[in-house]
Amino acid sequence: MKYLVTACIGALILYCSFGFDIKPEDIRFVRPDGWPKPVYDLSKNKITVDGFKLGRKLFFDPILSRDGSTSCASCHTQWSAFTHVDHGLSHGINGLKGKRNSLTLFNLAWNKAFMWDGGINHLEVQPLGPITNPVEMGNTLENVVKKLDTVKGYRARFYLAFGDSAITGQHVLKALAQFTVMFESFNSKYDKYTRHEPGGEMTEQELNGLALFRKNCESCHNEPLFTNYSFQNVGLSLDTELKDYGRMAITQDPRDSLKFKVPSLRNVAMSYPYMHDGRFRTLMQVLDHYTNTIVQGPTLAKEFRKPMILSPQDKKDIIEFLKTLTDKDFLFDMRFREQRE
Amino acid sequence: MNYLLRLSLLLAILLLPAYGIAAPAPDSGIVTIVIEPMFGDQPLQLSDKQYVDNFGDTLYIDLFRFYMTGLDFGSKADTTFVLAGYSHLVDAEDKNTLSFSVKIPAGTYSSFNFTAGVDSVDNTSGANGGDLDPAMGMYWAWNTGYIMAKLEGHSNVCKTLHHAFEFHIGGYMPPYNAARNIAIALPRAMIVDHDTRNTLRIKADLATWLTTSLAKVNSIVIPGKDAAAMADNYAKMYSLDKEVQIPLIHE
Repeated sequence: MKYLVTACIGALILYCSFGFDIKPEDIRFVRPDGWPKPVYDLSKNKITVDGFKLGRKLFFDPILSRDGSTSCASCHTQWSAFTHVDHGLSHGINGLKGKRNSLTLFNLAWNKAFMWDGGINHLEVQPLGPITNPVEMGNTLENVVKKLDTVKGYRARFYLAFGDSAITGQHVLKALAQFTVMFESFNSKYDKYTRHEPGGEMTEQELNGLALFRKNCESCHNEPLFTNYSFQNVGLSLDTELKDYGRMAITQDPRDSLKFKVPSLRNVAMSYPYMHDGRFRTLMQVLDHYTNTIVQGPTLAKEFRKPMILSPQDKKDIIEFLKTLTDKDFLFDMRFREQRE
Repeated sequence: MNYLLRLSLLLAILLLPAYGIAAPAPDSGIVTIVIEPMFGDQPLQLSDKQYVDNFGDTLYIDLFRFYMTGLDFGSKADTTFVLAGYSHLVDAEDKNTLSFSVKIPAGTYSSFNFTAGVDSVDNTSGANGGDLDPAMGMYWAWNTGYIMAKLEGHSNVCKTLHHAFEFHIGGYMPPYNAARNIAIALPRAMIVDHDTRNTLRIKADLATWLTTSLAKVNSIVIPGKDAAAMADNYAKMYSLDKEVQIPLIHE
Protein backbone atom coordinates (compact mmCIF):
# COMPACT_ATOMS: atom_id res chain seq x y z
CA MET A 1 0.00 0.00 0.00
CA LYS A 2 2.77 2.35 0.97
CA TYR A 3 4.54 1.55 -2.29
CA LEU A 4 1.40 2.17 -4.23
CA VAL A 5 0.97 5.60 -2.67
CA THR A 6 4.61 6.44 -3.36
CA ALA A 7 4.23 5.25 -6.95
CA CYS A 8 1.09 7.32 -7.39
CA ILE A 9 2.73 10.43 -5.98
CA GLY A 10 5.74 9.76 -8.17
CA ALA A 11 3.57 9.41 -11.24
CA LEU A 12 1.73 12.58 -10.32
CA ILE A 13 4.99 14.50 -9.94
CA LEU A 14 6.18 13.11 -13.24
CA TYR A 15 2.89 14.08 -14.85
CA CYS A 16 3.09 17.61 -13.51
CA SER A 17 6.73 18.15 -14.25
CA PHE A 18 6.70 16.75 -17.76
CA GLY A 19 3.12 17.70 -18.62
CA PHE A 20 1.99 14.71 -20.63
CA ASP A 21 -0.65 16.90 -22.14
CA ILE A 22 0.02 16.37 -25.83
CA LYS A 23 -1.06 13.15 -27.50
CA PRO A 24 -0.35 12.18 -31.09
CA GLU A 25 -3.94 12.98 -32.06
CA ASP A 26 -3.42 16.55 -30.79
CA ILE A 27 -0.77 17.37 -33.35
CA ARG A 28 -2.59 16.44 -36.50
CA PHE A 29 -2.33 19.24 -39.01
CA VAL A 30 -5.66 20.02 -40.69
CA ARG A 31 -6.27 21.32 -44.19
CA PRO A 32 -9.86 22.55 -43.94
CA ASP A 33 -12.24 21.68 -46.78
CA GLY A 34 -11.96 24.10 -49.66
CA TRP A 35 -8.69 25.61 -48.53
CA PRO A 36 -5.72 25.72 -50.89
CA LYS A 37 -2.78 23.37 -50.53
CA PRO A 38 -0.39 24.56 -47.79
CA VAL A 39 2.89 26.07 -48.96
CA TYR A 40 4.88 24.54 -46.10
CA ASP A 41 5.92 20.96 -46.81
CA LEU A 42 5.10 19.11 -43.61
CA SER A 43 6.59 15.88 -44.95
CA LYS A 44 10.05 17.43 -44.58
CA ASN A 45 9.53 18.26 -40.91
CA LYS A 46 7.15 15.64 -39.54
CA ILE A 47 5.41 16.93 -36.45
CA THR A 48 5.98 14.70 -33.43
CA VAL A 49 4.79 15.04 -29.85
CA ASP A 50 8.34 15.65 -28.66
CA GLY A 51 9.14 18.07 -31.48
CA PHE A 52 5.98 20.07 -30.82
CA LYS A 53 6.70 20.20 -27.08
CA LEU A 54 10.29 21.24 -27.65
CA GLY A 55 9.12 23.97 -30.02
CA ARG A 56 6.62 25.14 -27.44
CA LYS A 57 9.29 25.27 -24.74
CA LEU A 58 11.58 27.29 -26.99
CA PHE A 59 8.74 29.65 -27.94
CA PHE A 60 8.23 30.58 -24.31
CA ASP A 61 11.90 30.58 -23.27
CA PRO A 62 13.54 34.03 -22.95
CA ILE A 63 16.91 32.27 -23.24
CA LEU A 64 16.55 32.95 -26.95
CA SER A 65 17.28 36.64 -26.33
CA ARG A 66 20.74 38.01 -25.63
CA ASP A 67 19.96 39.17 -22.09
CA GLY A 68 17.43 36.47 -21.23
CA SER A 69 14.58 39.00 -21.02
CA THR A 70 12.50 38.41 -24.11
CA SER A 71 10.86 35.28 -25.52
CA CYS A 72 8.86 34.80 -28.72
CA ALA A 73 5.76 34.90 -26.53
CA SER A 74 6.73 38.36 -25.22
CA CYS A 75 5.47 39.89 -28.45
CA HIS A 76 3.18 37.07 -29.54
CA THR A 77 0.49 36.34 -26.96
CA GLN A 78 -2.08 33.70 -27.75
CA TRP A 79 -5.25 35.53 -26.74
CA SER A 80 -4.49 38.28 -29.27
CA ALA A 81 -3.92 35.73 -32.06
CA PHE A 82 -0.21 35.76 -31.18
CA THR A 83 0.49 39.41 -31.69
CA HIS A 84 1.62 42.10 -29.21
CA VAL A 85 -1.76 43.58 -28.41
CA ASP A 86 -1.92 47.27 -27.47
CA HIS A 87 1.64 47.87 -28.66
CA GLY A 88 1.92 49.90 -31.83
CA LEU A 89 5.57 49.01 -32.15
CA SER A 90 6.78 45.89 -30.44
CA HIS A 91 9.72 46.14 -28.12
CA GLY A 92 12.49 43.83 -27.16
CA ILE A 93 15.63 43.71 -25.04
CA ASN A 94 16.72 46.76 -22.99
CA GLY A 95 13.29 48.29 -23.60
CA LEU A 96 14.30 49.07 -27.17
CA LYS A 97 11.46 49.75 -29.56
CA GLY A 98 11.21 48.07 -32.93
CA LYS A 99 9.97 49.85 -36.00
CA ARG A 100 7.08 47.55 -36.76
CA ASN A 101 3.92 46.19 -35.19
CA SER A 102 4.31 42.47 -34.57
CA LEU A 103 2.23 40.30 -36.89
CA THR A 104 -0.36 37.76 -35.80
CA LEU A 105 0.68 34.09 -36.04
CA PHE A 106 -1.75 31.54 -37.41
CA ASN A 107 -2.31 29.51 -40.57
CA LEU A 108 1.41 29.97 -41.20
CA ALA A 109 1.61 26.91 -43.43
CA TRP A 110 -0.09 28.95 -46.17
CA ASN A 111 2.29 31.87 -45.89
CA LYS A 112 4.58 32.36 -48.87
CA ALA A 113 6.79 35.02 -47.30
CA PHE A 114 7.16 36.26 -43.75
CA MET A 115 7.41 39.63 -42.02
CA TRP A 116 5.71 42.87 -43.17
CA ASP A 117 8.24 43.18 -45.99
CA GLY A 118 8.27 39.49 -46.97
CA GLY A 119 12.05 39.36 -46.49
CA ILE A 120 11.96 35.86 -45.01
CA ASN A 121 11.11 33.10 -47.43
CA HIS A 122 10.37 30.06 -45.27
CA LEU A 123 8.56 29.28 -42.03
CA GLU A 124 11.55 27.50 -40.53
CA VAL A 125 13.93 30.44 -40.83
CA GLN A 126 11.40 33.08 -39.79
CA PRO A 127 12.50 33.04 -36.10
CA LEU A 128 15.95 34.23 -37.21
CA GLY A 129 14.42 37.66 -37.89
CA PRO A 130 13.39 38.44 -34.30
CA ILE A 131 16.25 36.42 -32.74
CA THR A 132 18.90 38.51 -34.49
CA ASN A 133 17.16 41.90 -34.67
CA PRO A 134 19.12 44.21 -32.31
CA VAL A 135 15.90 45.78 -30.98
CA GLU A 136 14.05 42.49 -30.56
CA MET A 137 16.10 39.62 -29.12
CA GLY A 138 19.53 40.92 -30.14
CA ASN A 139 21.07 37.48 -30.35
CA THR A 140 22.61 35.07 -32.83
CA LEU A 141 21.53 31.52 -33.59
CA GLU A 142 25.09 30.36 -32.79
CA ASN A 143 24.73 31.86 -29.35
CA VAL A 144 21.25 30.39 -28.83
CA VAL A 145 22.63 26.93 -29.61
CA LYS A 146 25.53 27.42 -27.17
CA LYS A 147 23.25 28.69 -24.42
CA LEU A 148 20.69 25.91 -24.83
CA ASP A 149 23.50 23.41 -24.56
CA THR A 150 24.24 24.63 -21.03
CA VAL A 151 20.65 24.38 -19.80
CA LYS A 152 19.74 21.15 -18.09
CA GLY A 153 17.16 19.10 -19.92
CA TYR A 154 17.45 20.61 -23.37
CA ARG A 155 19.84 18.00 -24.75
CA ALA A 156 17.44 15.23 -23.74
CA ARG A 157 14.55 17.07 -25.35
CA PHE A 158 16.47 17.47 -28.61
CA TYR A 159 17.29 13.78 -28.48
CA LEU A 160 13.63 12.87 -28.04
CA ALA A 161 12.57 15.18 -30.85
CA PHE A 162 15.30 14.54 -33.41
CA GLY A 163 17.21 11.45 -32.26
CA ASP A 164 20.30 13.55 -31.67
CA SER A 165 21.26 15.20 -28.39
CA ALA A 166 23.69 17.56 -30.13
CA ILE A 167 21.78 20.85 -30.34
CA THR A 168 21.96 22.46 -33.78
CA GLY A 169 20.53 25.60 -35.32
CA GLN A 170 18.60 23.45 -37.76
CA HIS A 171 16.86 21.52 -34.98
CA VAL A 172 16.06 24.67 -32.96
CA LEU A 173 14.34 26.08 -36.04
CA LYS A 174 12.60 22.84 -37.03
CA ALA A 175 11.20 22.44 -33.51
CA LEU A 176 9.86 26.00 -33.48
CA ALA A 177 8.23 25.34 -36.86
CA GLN A 178 6.57 22.16 -35.57
CA PHE A 179 4.95 24.22 -32.83
CA THR A 180 3.98 27.33 -34.78
CA VAL A 181 2.66 25.52 -37.86
CA MET A 182 0.01 24.01 -35.59
CA PHE A 183 -1.45 27.49 -34.87
CA GLU A 184 -4.49 26.90 -37.02
CA SER A 185 -7.52 29.14 -37.02
CA PHE A 186 -10.61 27.88 -38.88
CA ASN A 187 -13.38 27.73 -36.27
CA SER A 188 -14.71 31.27 -36.13
CA LYS A 189 -18.40 32.06 -36.37
CA TYR A 190 -17.77 32.90 -40.04
CA ASP A 191 -16.30 29.41 -40.61
CA LYS A 192 -19.29 27.79 -38.94
CA TYR A 193 -21.55 29.94 -41.11
CA THR A 194 -19.85 28.76 -44.29
CA ARG A 195 -19.97 25.15 -43.08
CA HIS A 196 -23.64 25.52 -42.05
CA GLU A 197 -22.80 24.42 -38.54
CA PRO A 198 -24.50 25.33 -35.26
CA GLY A 199 -23.01 28.55 -33.90
CA GLY A 200 -22.73 29.96 -37.40
CA GLU A 201 -25.99 31.89 -37.37
CA MET A 202 -25.13 35.37 -38.60
CA THR A 203 -27.22 38.44 -37.81
CA GLU A 204 -28.61 40.61 -40.55
CA GLN A 205 -25.99 43.25 -39.78
CA GLU A 206 -23.13 40.72 -39.98
CA LEU A 207 -24.47 39.42 -43.30
CA ASN A 208 -24.71 42.94 -44.63
CA GLY A 209 -21.14 43.50 -43.44
CA LEU A 210 -20.05 40.34 -45.25
CA ALA A 211 -21.68 41.56 -48.47
CA LEU A 212 -19.94 44.94 -48.16
CA PHE A 213 -16.67 43.21 -47.33
CA ARG A 214 -16.89 41.04 -50.43
CA LYS A 215 -17.55 44.12 -52.53
CA ASN A 216 -14.83 46.38 -51.09
CA CYS A 217 -12.11 44.32 -49.40
CA GLU A 218 -12.15 40.88 -50.98
CA SER A 219 -9.66 41.64 -53.77
CA CYS A 220 -6.78 41.60 -51.26
CA HIS A 221 -8.29 40.03 -48.13
CA ASN A 222 -9.83 37.11 -49.96
CA GLU A 223 -11.53 34.13 -48.32
CA PRO A 224 -10.88 31.66 -46.85
CA LEU A 225 -7.49 32.90 -45.58
CA PHE A 226 -8.48 36.58 -45.75
CA THR A 227 -5.28 37.57 -47.49
CA ASN A 228 -3.91 37.07 -50.98
CA TYR A 229 -0.34 37.26 -49.56
CA SER A 230 0.54 40.16 -51.83
CA PHE A 231 2.34 43.38 -50.87
CA GLN A 232 0.41 46.60 -51.27
CA ASN A 233 0.68 50.30 -50.68
CA VAL A 234 -2.60 51.15 -48.95
CA GLY A 235 -2.08 54.90 -49.02
CA LEU A 236 -0.59 55.38 -45.57
CA SER A 237 1.54 58.51 -45.21
CA LEU A 238 5.23 57.83 -44.68
CA ASP A 239 6.14 58.10 -41.00
CA THR A 240 8.98 60.62 -41.04
CA GLU A 241 10.56 59.15 -37.90
CA LEU A 242 10.59 55.52 -39.03
CA LYS A 243 11.12 56.15 -42.75
CA ASP A 244 9.97 52.63 -43.47
CA TYR A 245 9.61 51.91 -47.17
CA GLY A 246 8.62 48.29 -46.59
CA ARG A 247 9.16 45.75 -49.33
CA MET A 248 11.53 47.98 -51.28
CA ALA A 249 14.23 47.34 -48.67
CA ILE A 250 14.13 43.68 -49.69
CA THR A 251 13.76 43.87 -53.46
CA GLN A 252 15.54 47.20 -53.98
CA ASP A 253 12.87 47.83 -56.57
CA PRO A 254 11.32 51.34 -56.46
CA ARG A 255 8.06 49.78 -57.62
CA ASP A 256 7.85 48.15 -54.18
CA SER A 257 8.18 51.42 -52.29
CA LEU A 258 5.75 51.70 -49.33
CA LYS A 259 4.35 48.23 -49.94
CA PHE A 260 3.68 45.96 -46.99
CA LYS A 261 2.23 42.50 -46.63
CA VAL A 262 -1.54 42.16 -46.76
CA PRO A 263 -2.26 40.60 -43.35
CA SER A 264 -4.97 38.02 -42.78
CA LEU A 265 -8.06 39.52 -41.16
CA ARG A 266 -8.87 36.42 -39.16
CA ASN A 267 -9.04 37.34 -35.45
CA VAL A 268 -8.58 40.97 -36.44
CA ALA A 269 -10.86 42.28 -33.70
CA MET A 270 -8.46 40.80 -31.13
CA SER A 271 -5.20 42.02 -32.62
CA TYR A 272 -5.25 45.82 -32.43
CA PRO A 273 -3.50 48.12 -33.12
CA TYR A 274 -3.40 47.98 -36.91
CA MET A 275 -1.08 48.54 -39.87
CA HIS A 276 2.66 47.80 -40.08
CA ASP A 277 3.47 50.56 -37.59
CA GLY A 278 0.37 50.14 -35.41
CA ARG A 279 -0.85 53.66 -36.14
CA PHE A 280 -4.57 52.86 -35.85
CA ARG A 281 -6.08 51.68 -32.60
CA THR A 282 -9.52 50.75 -33.89
CA LEU A 283 -11.02 49.09 -36.94
CA MET A 284 -13.13 52.20 -37.46
CA GLN A 285 -9.94 54.27 -37.81
CA VAL A 286 -8.71 51.82 -40.45
CA LEU A 287 -11.92 52.10 -42.44
CA ASP A 288 -11.92 55.90 -42.03
CA HIS A 289 -8.43 55.90 -43.52
CA TYR A 290 -9.60 53.89 -46.51
CA THR A 291 -12.43 56.32 -47.22
CA ASN A 292 -10.83 59.65 -46.25
CA THR A 293 -7.04 59.83 -45.96
CA ILE A 294 -5.53 57.78 -48.78
CA VAL A 295 -2.22 59.29 -49.90
CA GLN A 296 -1.89 59.05 -53.68
CA GLY A 297 1.42 57.87 -55.08
CA PRO A 298 2.96 55.87 -57.89
CA THR A 299 2.86 52.57 -56.02
CA LEU A 300 -0.63 52.96 -54.51
CA ALA A 301 -2.79 49.84 -54.88
CA LYS A 302 -5.15 50.18 -57.84
CA GLU A 303 -8.13 49.54 -55.54
CA PHE A 304 -7.55 52.89 -53.82
CA ARG A 305 -7.07 55.01 -56.90
CA LYS A 306 -10.80 55.71 -56.89
CA PRO A 307 -12.28 56.73 -53.55
CA MET A 308 -13.90 53.98 -51.52
CA ILE A 309 -17.40 55.02 -50.57
CA LEU A 310 -18.78 53.64 -47.31
CA SER A 311 -21.45 55.18 -45.12
CA PRO A 312 -20.94 55.26 -41.33
CA GLN A 313 -23.51 52.47 -41.10
CA ASP A 314 -21.65 50.44 -43.77
CA LYS A 315 -18.48 50.69 -41.70
CA LYS A 316 -20.27 49.54 -38.56
CA ASP A 317 -21.66 46.58 -40.47
CA ILE A 318 -18.25 45.62 -41.86
CA ILE A 319 -16.78 45.76 -38.36
CA GLU A 320 -19.58 43.54 -37.04
CA PHE A 321 -18.73 41.07 -39.78
CA LEU A 322 -15.00 41.24 -38.98
CA LYS A 323 -15.82 40.28 -35.40
CA THR A 324 -17.23 36.99 -36.69
CA LEU A 325 -13.65 36.11 -37.72
CA THR A 326 -12.65 35.78 -34.07
CA ASP A 327 -11.86 32.13 -33.39
CA LYS A 328 -12.15 31.45 -29.66
CA ASP A 329 -11.23 27.77 -30.07
CA PHE A 330 -7.87 28.96 -31.37
CA LEU A 331 -7.36 31.85 -28.96
CA PHE A 332 -7.94 29.63 -25.94
CA ASP A 333 -6.48 26.39 -27.27
CA MET A 334 -4.71 24.71 -24.34
CA ARG A 335 -2.11 23.09 -26.59
CA PHE A 336 -0.48 26.45 -27.16
CA ARG A 337 -0.23 27.47 -23.50
CA GLU A 338 3.08 27.62 -21.74
CA GLN A 339 3.63 24.40 -19.78
CA ARG A 340 5.75 23.88 -16.70
CA GLU A 341 7.84 21.10 -18.12
CA MET B 1 32.87 -20.69 -38.47
CA ASN B 2 30.18 -18.25 -37.52
CA TYR B 3 32.46 -16.95 -34.79
CA LEU B 4 35.35 -16.52 -37.22
CA LEU B 5 33.13 -14.69 -39.63
CA ARG B 6 32.02 -12.33 -36.90
CA LEU B 7 35.58 -11.77 -35.75
CA SER B 8 36.77 -10.93 -39.24
CA LEU B 9 33.81 -8.60 -39.73
CA LEU B 10 34.66 -6.89 -36.46
CA LEU B 11 38.30 -6.57 -37.51
CA ALA B 12 37.28 -5.16 -40.83
CA ILE B 13 35.07 -2.57 -39.13
CA LEU B 14 37.87 -1.63 -36.76
CA LEU B 15 40.43 -1.29 -39.52
CA LEU B 16 38.33 0.63 -42.01
CA PRO B 17 38.43 4.03 -40.31
CA ALA B 18 42.22 3.99 -40.52
CA TYR B 19 41.87 5.67 -43.91
CA GLY B 20 39.99 8.58 -42.36
CA ILE B 21 37.09 7.86 -44.64
CA ALA B 22 35.50 4.50 -45.30
CA ALA B 23 37.73 2.54 -47.68
CA PRO B 24 36.51 2.88 -51.23
CA ALA B 25 34.70 0.08 -52.94
CA PRO B 26 36.78 -1.53 -55.74
CA ASP B 27 34.96 0.61 -58.31
CA SER B 28 35.54 3.92 -56.57
CA GLY B 29 38.34 6.05 -55.16
CA ILE B 30 39.01 8.92 -52.84
CA VAL B 31 39.76 12.46 -53.89
CA THR B 32 40.99 14.92 -51.32
CA ILE B 33 40.37 18.59 -51.98
CA VAL B 34 42.81 20.94 -50.30
CA ILE B 35 42.07 24.66 -50.27
CA GLU B 36 45.06 26.98 -50.06
CA PRO B 37 44.03 30.52 -49.13
CA MET B 38 46.61 32.88 -50.63
CA PHE B 39 47.33 36.54 -51.05
CA GLY B 40 49.23 36.81 -54.29
CA ASP B 41 52.04 34.32 -54.07
CA GLN B 42 52.01 34.10 -50.26
CA PRO B 43 49.95 31.75 -48.12
CA LEU B 44 47.26 33.71 -46.30
CA GLN B 45 47.88 34.56 -42.69
CA LEU B 46 44.98 36.13 -40.83
CA SER B 47 45.04 39.36 -38.80
CA ASP B 48 48.70 40.18 -38.25
CA LYS B 49 50.27 39.98 -41.67
CA GLN B 50 50.28 42.99 -43.91
CA TYR B 51 49.52 42.65 -47.62
CA VAL B 52 49.60 45.11 -50.48
CA ASP B 53 46.74 45.05 -52.96
CA ASN B 54 46.76 45.90 -56.68
CA PHE B 55 46.34 49.59 -55.87
CA GLY B 56 49.39 49.72 -53.62
CA ASP B 57 47.29 50.00 -50.46
CA THR B 58 48.29 48.02 -47.40
CA LEU B 59 45.71 45.83 -45.72
CA TYR B 60 45.13 43.00 -43.27
CA ILE B 61 42.71 40.10 -43.70
CA ASP B 62 40.74 39.12 -40.59
CA LEU B 63 38.23 36.64 -41.89
CA PHE B 64 37.78 34.62 -45.05
CA ARG B 65 35.07 32.04 -45.61
CA PHE B 66 33.23 30.62 -48.58
CA TYR B 67 30.90 27.79 -49.49
CA MET B 68 31.79 25.01 -51.90
CA THR B 69 28.74 23.09 -53.10
CA GLY B 70 27.59 21.16 -56.14
CA LEU B 71 30.91 19.38 -56.63
CA ASP B 72 31.27 17.50 -59.86
CA PHE B 73 34.01 15.69 -61.71
CA GLY B 74 34.02 15.69 -65.49
CA SER B 75 35.63 13.09 -67.70
CA LYS B 76 36.77 13.17 -71.32
CA ALA B 77 33.94 10.84 -72.24
CA ASP B 78 31.67 13.80 -71.48
CA THR B 79 30.23 12.13 -68.46
CA THR B 80 30.04 13.95 -65.22
CA PHE B 81 29.86 12.64 -61.72
CA VAL B 82 27.87 14.98 -59.53
CA LEU B 83 28.35 14.69 -55.81
CA ALA B 84 24.74 15.30 -54.83
CA GLY B 85 23.89 17.23 -51.70
CA TYR B 86 27.46 17.87 -50.61
CA SER B 87 28.14 21.25 -49.05
CA HIS B 88 31.39 22.40 -47.52
CA LEU B 89 32.19 25.62 -45.69
CA VAL B 90 35.80 26.70 -46.00
CA ASP B 91 37.00 28.92 -43.16
CA ALA B 92 40.58 30.20 -43.35
CA GLU B 93 40.64 30.32 -39.56
CA ASP B 94 39.86 26.63 -39.14
CA LYS B 95 42.50 24.29 -40.61
CA ASN B 96 40.07 21.36 -40.44
CA THR B 97 37.92 22.99 -43.09
CA LEU B 98 40.80 23.46 -45.53
CA SER B 99 40.74 19.89 -46.70
CA PHE B 100 38.08 17.29 -47.16
CA SER B 101 37.77 13.97 -48.92
CA VAL B 102 35.05 12.65 -51.16
CA LYS B 103 34.46 9.25 -52.68
CA ILE B 104 33.79 9.16 -56.42
CA PRO B 105 33.44 6.38 -59.01
CA ALA B 106 36.63 4.96 -60.49
CA GLY B 107 37.51 6.53 -63.82
CA THR B 108 39.59 9.06 -65.64
CA TYR B 109 38.68 12.66 -64.96
CA SER B 110 39.74 15.83 -66.71
CA SER B 111 37.99 18.55 -64.76
CA PHE B 112 36.79 19.47 -61.31
CA ASN B 113 33.87 21.86 -60.98
CA PHE B 114 32.11 23.36 -58.03
CA THR B 115 29.78 26.16 -57.10
CA ALA B 116 31.34 28.95 -55.07
CA GLY B 117 28.23 29.66 -53.03
CA VAL B 118 24.89 27.97 -52.42
CA ASP B 119 22.25 27.25 -55.06
CA SER B 120 18.76 28.72 -54.93
CA VAL B 121 17.15 25.45 -53.82
CA ASP B 122 19.11 25.45 -50.57
CA ASN B 123 18.37 29.15 -50.18
CA THR B 124 14.64 28.55 -50.18
CA SER B 125 14.23 25.23 -48.37
CA GLY B 126 14.13 26.37 -44.74
CA ALA B 127 16.49 25.25 -42.02
CA ASN B 128 19.25 23.07 -43.50
CA GLY B 129 21.79 21.08 -41.51
CA GLY B 130 25.50 20.33 -41.50
CA ASP B 131 27.68 23.05 -42.99
CA LEU B 132 24.49 24.73 -44.24
CA ASP B 133 23.11 25.11 -40.70
CA PRO B 134 21.99 28.74 -40.30
CA ALA B 135 24.02 28.78 -37.07
CA MET B 136 27.29 28.75 -39.04
CA GLY B 137 27.31 32.55 -39.23
CA MET B 138 26.81 32.53 -42.99
CA TYR B 139 23.08 33.25 -43.10
CA TRP B 140 21.08 36.45 -43.33
CA ALA B 141 18.08 36.70 -41.07
CA TRP B 142 16.06 39.70 -42.26
CA ASN B 143 16.38 38.93 -45.96
CA THR B 144 16.63 35.15 -46.22
CA GLY B 145 19.66 33.66 -47.87
CA TYR B 146 23.17 32.39 -47.47
CA ILE B 147 26.22 34.56 -47.36
CA MET B 148 28.11 32.69 -50.04
CA ALA B 149 31.48 34.21 -49.29
CA LYS B 150 32.69 36.49 -46.53
CA LEU B 151 35.83 38.60 -46.50
CA GLU B 152 36.66 40.99 -43.68
CA GLY B 153 39.77 42.94 -42.87
CA HIS B 154 41.11 46.39 -42.26
CA SER B 155 43.12 48.94 -44.15
CA ASN B 156 44.07 52.54 -43.41
CA VAL B 157 42.53 53.62 -46.69
CA CYS B 158 39.06 52.67 -45.39
CA LYS B 159 37.35 55.68 -43.83
CA THR B 160 35.26 53.44 -41.61
CA LEU B 161 35.10 52.46 -37.95
CA HIS B 162 38.41 50.71 -37.13
CA HIS B 163 39.32 51.11 -40.83
CA ALA B 164 37.38 47.92 -41.42
CA PHE B 165 36.20 46.57 -44.74
CA GLU B 166 33.59 43.85 -45.01
CA PHE B 167 32.22 41.95 -47.93
CA HIS B 168 29.34 39.59 -47.21
CA ILE B 169 28.44 38.38 -50.65
CA GLY B 170 25.19 36.53 -51.33
CA GLY B 171 21.78 36.70 -52.93
CA TYR B 172 20.07 33.92 -54.86
CA MET B 173 17.39 35.81 -56.76
CA PRO B 174 17.95 36.64 -60.40
CA PRO B 175 19.37 38.80 -61.85
CA TYR B 176 21.72 39.14 -58.87
CA ASN B 177 22.39 35.53 -57.98
CA ALA B 178 25.86 35.48 -56.44
CA ALA B 179 26.57 31.74 -56.77
CA ARG B 180 29.32 31.15 -59.33
CA ASN B 181 30.31 28.00 -61.16
CA ILE B 182 34.00 27.38 -60.95
CA ALA B 183 35.69 25.07 -63.43
CA ILE B 184 39.15 23.79 -62.61
CA ALA B 185 40.79 22.21 -65.65
CA LEU B 186 43.20 19.42 -64.83
CA PRO B 187 46.40 19.54 -66.92
CA ARG B 188 46.63 15.78 -66.97
CA ALA B 189 43.99 13.15 -66.51
CA MET B 190 43.18 12.23 -62.94
CA ILE B 191 42.90 8.50 -62.60
CA VAL B 192 40.64 7.46 -59.79
CA ASP B 193 40.64 3.90 -58.54
CA HIS B 194 40.63 2.16 -55.22
CA ASP B 195 44.44 1.81 -55.05
CA THR B 196 45.34 5.45 -55.26
CA ARG B 197 44.47 8.60 -53.49
CA ASN B 198 44.23 11.80 -55.48
CA THR B 199 44.69 15.21 -54.01
CA LEU B 200 43.64 18.40 -55.74
CA ARG B 201 45.22 21.49 -54.25
CA ILE B 202 43.13 24.53 -55.11
CA LYS B 203 44.44 28.05 -54.59
CA ALA B 204 42.02 30.78 -53.52
CA ASP B 205 43.86 34.04 -54.10
CA LEU B 206 42.41 37.07 -52.33
CA ALA B 207 44.56 39.47 -54.35
CA THR B 208 42.43 38.46 -57.29
CA TRP B 209 39.23 39.06 -55.31
CA LEU B 210 40.25 42.62 -54.39
CA THR B 211 40.21 44.24 -57.82
CA THR B 212 38.40 47.39 -56.67
CA SER B 213 40.13 49.92 -54.48
CA LEU B 214 39.27 49.58 -50.80
CA ALA B 215 39.27 53.35 -50.59
CA LYS B 216 36.31 53.33 -52.96
CA VAL B 217 34.39 50.20 -52.01
CA ASN B 218 34.78 48.81 -48.51
CA SER B 219 31.38 47.42 -47.58
CA ILE B 220 28.95 45.19 -49.44
CA VAL B 221 26.63 43.34 -47.07
CA ILE B 222 23.38 42.95 -48.98
CA PRO B 223 22.42 41.10 -52.16
CA GLY B 224 22.22 43.13 -55.33
CA LYS B 225 24.15 44.48 -58.27
CA ASP B 226 27.34 45.26 -56.29
CA ALA B 227 27.38 41.84 -54.66
CA ALA B 228 26.92 40.11 -58.01
CA ALA B 229 29.76 42.14 -59.51
CA MET B 230 32.04 41.19 -56.64
CA ALA B 231 31.09 37.54 -57.09
CA ASP B 232 32.23 37.86 -60.72
CA ASN B 233 35.56 39.01 -59.29
CA TYR B 234 36.11 36.28 -56.80
CA ALA B 235 35.04 33.62 -59.27
CA LYS B 236 38.46 34.24 -60.82
CA MET B 237 40.43 33.64 -57.65
CA TYR B 238 40.40 29.85 -57.86
CA SER B 239 43.10 27.92 -59.66
CA LEU B 240 44.75 24.53 -59.49
CA ASP B 241 48.01 24.58 -57.56
CA LYS B 242 48.91 20.98 -58.18
CA GLU B 243 47.48 17.55 -58.48
CA VAL B 244 49.05 14.76 -56.49
CA GLN B 245 48.46 11.06 -56.73
CA ILE B 246 49.61 8.76 -53.99
CA PRO B 247 49.33 4.97 -54.20
CA LEU B 248 47.28 3.96 -51.18
CA ILE B 249 49.47 0.96 -50.40
CA HIS B 250 52.18 3.27 -49.03
CA GLU B 251 49.93 5.02 -46.55
